[in-house]
Amino acid sequence: MKLREYEAKKILQEAGIPVPAGFLIKTADELSAHLDVLGDAIVLKAQVDVGGRGKAGGILMADKKNAVATARELFAKQIKGLTVREILAEQRLVIQKEYYLSITVDRSAKQPLLLFSDAGGVEIENTVQENPDAIRKAVALPLMLDLPPFMLRELAGKAPKEVMPVINKLYRVFLDKDALLAEINPLVITPQGVFAADAKIIVDDNALARQGITVNRDLSEREREAEKNGFSYVELGGNIGVIGNGAGLTMSTLDLIEYYGGKAANFLDVGGGAESDRVKNAVQLVARVPSVRVIVVNLLGGITRCDEVAKGIIAAGISQKVIVRLAGTNEAEGRSMLAEKGYEMLDTMDLVVKKAVEVAA
Amino acid sequence: MIYGDKKTGVLVQGATGRQGEFHIGLMNAYAKFVGGRGVVAGVTPGKGGQQVHGVPVFNTVKDAMREHDIGAAVIFVPAGAAADSIMEEANAGIPTIVCITEHIPVHDTMKAVAYARVQGSSVIGPNCPGLLSPGEIKMGIMPAGLFLRGNVGVISRSGTLTYEVVDELTRAGIGQSTVVGIGGDPVIGQTFADVLERFAQDGQTKAVVLIGEVGGNLEEEGAKATDIPIVAYIAGKSAPPDKRMGHAGAIVEGGKSDARSKIARLTKLGVPVASRPSEIPEIVKGLFRSC
Repeated sequence: MKLREYEAKKILQEAGIPVPAGFLIKTADELSAHLDVLGDAIVLKAQVDVGGRGKAGGILMADKKNAVATARELFAKQIKGLTVREILAEQRLVIQKEYYLSITVDRSAKQPLLLFSDAGGVEIENTVQENPDAIRKAVALPLMLDLPPFMLRELAGKAPKEVMPVINKLYRVFLDKDALLAEINPLVITPQGVFAADAKIIVDDNALARQGITVNRDLSEREREAEKNGFSYVELGGNIGVIGNGAGLTMSTLDLIEYYGGKAANFLDVGGGAESDRVKNAVQLVARVPSVRVIVVNLLGGITRCDEVAKGIIAAGISQKVIVRLAGTNEAEGRSMLAEKGYEMLDTMDLVVKKAVEVAA
Repeated sequence: MIYGDKKTGVLVQGATGRQGEFHIGLMNAYAKFVGGRGVVAGVTPGKGGQQVHGVPVFNTVKDAMREHDIGAAVIFVPAGAAADSIMEEANAGIPTIVCITEHIPVHDTMKAVAYARVQGSSVIGPNCPGLLSPGEIKMGIMPAGLFLRGNVGVISRSGTLTYEVVDELTRAGIGQSTVVGIGGDPVIGQTFADVLERFAQDGQTKAVVLIGEVGGNLEEEGAKATDIPIVAYIAGKSAPPDKRMGHAGAIVEGGKSDARSKIARLTKLGVPVASRPSEIPEIVKGLFRSC
């Protein structure tokens, strides 16, 4: 889950990384109480869960006199369709130089990957394309709680020495907070020293509970409902509902729909052990998506009991057509149960998908 | 075969749990069928002295190692304890560690895999179905009935999609040497490159089917580093960006890890890529005809 800027900055501050003086406000009037601390150069940043916020008008500059009015203006805006509910009001920094610092998970190395770039304030992907020599990389051994000094020196290069402790502190944050990404962009040098001017932290969804995060904000309401049932669910916007077991098989079913010229409404991985209740819940969840005209059920596995699956499909009692591909134990039993109720059951993935695309067209 | 054979004694961590108990039964039924040793010991802290399907249970891995010759371990413990199990087995000197458990935090996996490397152990998974060498050994949860012994290796990030492909291969009369599920997480122990290296040393394996999906670039990295003939399939052409498609590792990020870019890179390396699972057997047959 992606943390908001103010949440990420609070974590950095607690880790000893300097951040600009700032306040989170929920109404424009709250700002008046903080103006003495913020001074005359203020930046107002909308705290919305969306990328490219600056370009979308979510960041406004203000001075002491017009700050409250500017905040009111920002609260009235929609940023890429999202209402602004919170604004981070910060002291504007006098920037002498900007750097980029990030830590991610390197799948090839199976270890944390640190990137430090002399070109801060721009997207790292652009720097990779246009100015690759500005970037220095290092891979850390996650069994070490601190980065060795040589690695800090290599990463920092000619940047002022004061960035080195920031790199190590961000590495600590990365480890402590179960981060998949910890990024400071830009990391700025000012006459008052080094500051994290912007910050981004993504927490591993599998570690939310131990990080004390109870609601995953990255999920839609229906995705959250699916998660409660133990399903993985993604909405895709087409009219063919999809239920599979296993992420790979379900993705592959979606791709086949595209191959045969259809459009999938969703991805739903029902997970291991497809008991009748789970199957029923899955079918009903997908049937509630308004655009769904037909549902493909593609379940395969040595230990999946086909009679249980059949029971679940029948119990769901939905109005849309359900086309089933089932392979596993008690296959004949499941097949006859479904046939009795008039459900169509086909032998291969290609056949069920082809049929569903015909029905949906 | 790679990683193990009939002579390999297997330890199961989490032996007394529902999953552990169920799969000890299936693994040993397979061992009996092929005349292998199968699961010789189980471990569950505090349950030492019990038996599961006639397999003795120990409190610690080291206790089990003192009494049994063990070459591999399979882990069925919950996510919060799985990384610890990997490290306990690596510390005891077990060379191959298969971790079935899903939902382990990535940082735990990174640490456990790094620790296992220091100890000289190989980790398969986590979040994987394990592996099966037909006629030799089953370590994990793959449905053995679909398999046929032969000389095609299979490496996959997925579970059921692997069964789908194995089923297609078997129906087409194409047998398998070893089928390895490497796991659907962003960080896994053995990657495509690691398993391909094993297949390259394995006299039985003549070609490899590589089943990948969106997220990362481990498929291309593996294909680049080997001389074995490969057929690939990549799931997730219809996956939208920044959404996790069931597997923690199946996410399109940064504009490079989508299925089409991966397929383009594999094609550039000369790897034939199937557009549907059902096309894989024909492409494999074509490879054999051409070599």
